Amino acid sequence: MANLLALIHNETIKVWKKKRFAVIVLVLLVLIPVFVYAQMKVAQNNAAKFKDWRAEVQQRITDNTNALSSDRIPEEWKKWRRALVQQLQYYLDHDVNPDTPNAVTFTTSFLENAVTLFIPLMVLAVGSDLVSSERTAGTIKMLLTRPVRRWRILFSKTATLTLYVSLIVVTATAMCYAISGIAFGYEGWGVPVFVGFSLKGADMNTANVHAISQGVFLLMEMGLVWFSALVVAYIALMVSVLVRSTAASLTTMMAAVISGMILSNMASSWHSAKYLFNVNLDLTVYLQGTPPPIEGMTLGFSLAVLVAWGASALAVAFAVFTKQDMIQ
Amino acid sequence: MSKRKQTEPRSGSDSEAVRERRRSALWPALGWSTVACSLLLLLGFVWALRDTWHPSAGLALSQPSAPPVATGGGWADKPQLLVAALGDSLTRGTGDETGDGYVKAAVNSLQKTLGKPVKLINNLAVNGLTAAQLVDRLDQKGFQESIAQADLVLMTIGGNDLFQIAQNGGSVAFGGDVSPELLKEKLPGAEPLLDRIFAKLRKINPYARIVYVGLYNPFYDVTAARSISETVLEWNDYAHRLATADGNMTVVPTYDLFESNGTAYLSSDHFHPNDKGYQRIAVRIVQALQ
Repeated sequence: MANLLALIHNETIKVWKKKRFAVIVLVLLVLIPVFVYAQMKVAQNNAAKFKDWRAEVQQRITDNTNALSSDRIPEEWKKWRRALVQQLQYYLDHDVNPDTPNAVTFTTSFLENAVTLFIPLMVLAVGSDLVSSERTAGTIKMLLTRPVRRWRILFSKTATLTLYVSLIVVTATAMCYAISGIAFGYEGWGVPVFVGFSLKGADMNTANVHAISQGVFLLMEMGLVWFSALVVAYIALMVSVLVRSTAASLTTMMAAVISGMILSNMASSWHSAKYLFNVNLDLTVYLQGTPPPIEGMTLGFSLAVLVAWGASALAVAFAVFTKQDMIQ
Repeated sequence: MSKRKQTEPRSGSDSEAVRERRRSALWPALGWSTVACSLLLLLGFVWALRDTWHPSAGLALSQPSAPPVATGGGWADKPQLLVAALGDSLTRGTGDETGDGYVKAAVNSLQKTLGKPVKLINNLAVNGLTAAQLVDRLDQKGFQESIAQADLVLMTIGGNDLFQIAQNGGSVAFGGDVSPELLKEKLPGAEPLLDRIFAKLRKINPYARIVYVGLYNPFYDVTAARSISETVLEWNDYAHRLATADGNMTVVPTYDLFESNGTAYLSSDHFHPNDKGYQRIAVRIVQALQ
């Protein structure tokens, strides 16, 4: 056990010294202000146009209803809009503003948008070269000549990766909150959010809808984002074991993640695509109650798919790493 | 590079001992904070699953605050006027390339003539809306709140009941599927609905000035469909009688605008006005309110 802890210690410090985490923080520091500024412009524009939030929500409902009456809009988009209209109507009927302008609201919507692409890319910055960089630098030989069993080495790398994924998700959320608070104010933790919407055919089922505070909602979203980020990280670890160069492993994973985002936007008629890990990454849709990318997907289903992919990725990584020849 | 580093190991206060201490502090800090992050996220994850599969009772919501309601009194005393628009595709502005429709044009020009801010609260119009659907929608909270605040309500309705236009914004082939006889048959069914709409509007807002934009015959240039105008005028006449009974309601006629040179003011679907047509309707509305 002490041996394993020492290995994890070693790996964690190694990743830190490679300044991977510093790069991620730097990227966030540049990008979040850009998003905040864009959102601020939208908010100012709306504030000038609408009398109050009720008028704004009602206008959104009417505009989406109008879009529904057009035959030119694809059926999947209509489904999405119909769900949105019913959700907004629920908020309006219960006199709850769905978009209070504050840092917590901004952070939750940032997470919802980041879960399919942005967070996975940051995770890849750590995960994709965990093994392959040792190969590229030639340090793998030194590592493996020590009297430590190979599975222990890979286990320590997996544990380190898990810890860093957690750190990345929390850091991204905290930075987003801290930066957007300058523009939108830091309150908003207690604002109610409705969860529990589910789609029954064309209609929104509101039987299980209940209000939770936005702070709890943010914590739940962080948890779900973290889970899908972990699966991406484990798959990246496997690719990093299989592919011998860091560049190749990073490219492979980026292609997988990006194609997942494209597929979720267009593959609703290709039903077996729902077994791919990359269309299941956005677990937050189940919390928000928006229709999933492919019909028939539920939270349980997506979790099962992600667990299956993550577990098999780890299994392959361990099987290959412990048997592999390290000739270069 | 590396040689230079080796030759100056003790620059400034960064002695070997300090560096060593910092290195030994890094691991506990990093280790504990990442473990704490993991536990926090695990909590969030488990909470999300539990809340989805075993929903709790949820937060108690505070009582909704009463929405603002329009007050009576003359427009001259008010600092600004609030406008609500509702109805069908004509109020929506379908057919107008600029997307403004008569509502925005009327609001802008009213602002100039009255010399005070005129603000559109909402344009609640929906393409293809029929009178029966509007009766239902007037029970919705969002509709009621918008209308209740308004000093002026602009509306169109009835066109879809009489002309039975396809929902997708209308692509009527020159009068082909609109027969004057059919239109006449629909009239008795649609009239009571207009009465109900006006009555509901008055109940929601007793003070607002209601402007009902009358119907026109878009097929006036088609000889076979010219007699549609009879039914249209009958409908407008009925609306006018209701308006007179109310006292604070105006029916703005538009049928004459699309007769002599109608196609110049209609959009390519030969049913909705184009931007010039909407401009002329807006001018009429402002004239009626001056």
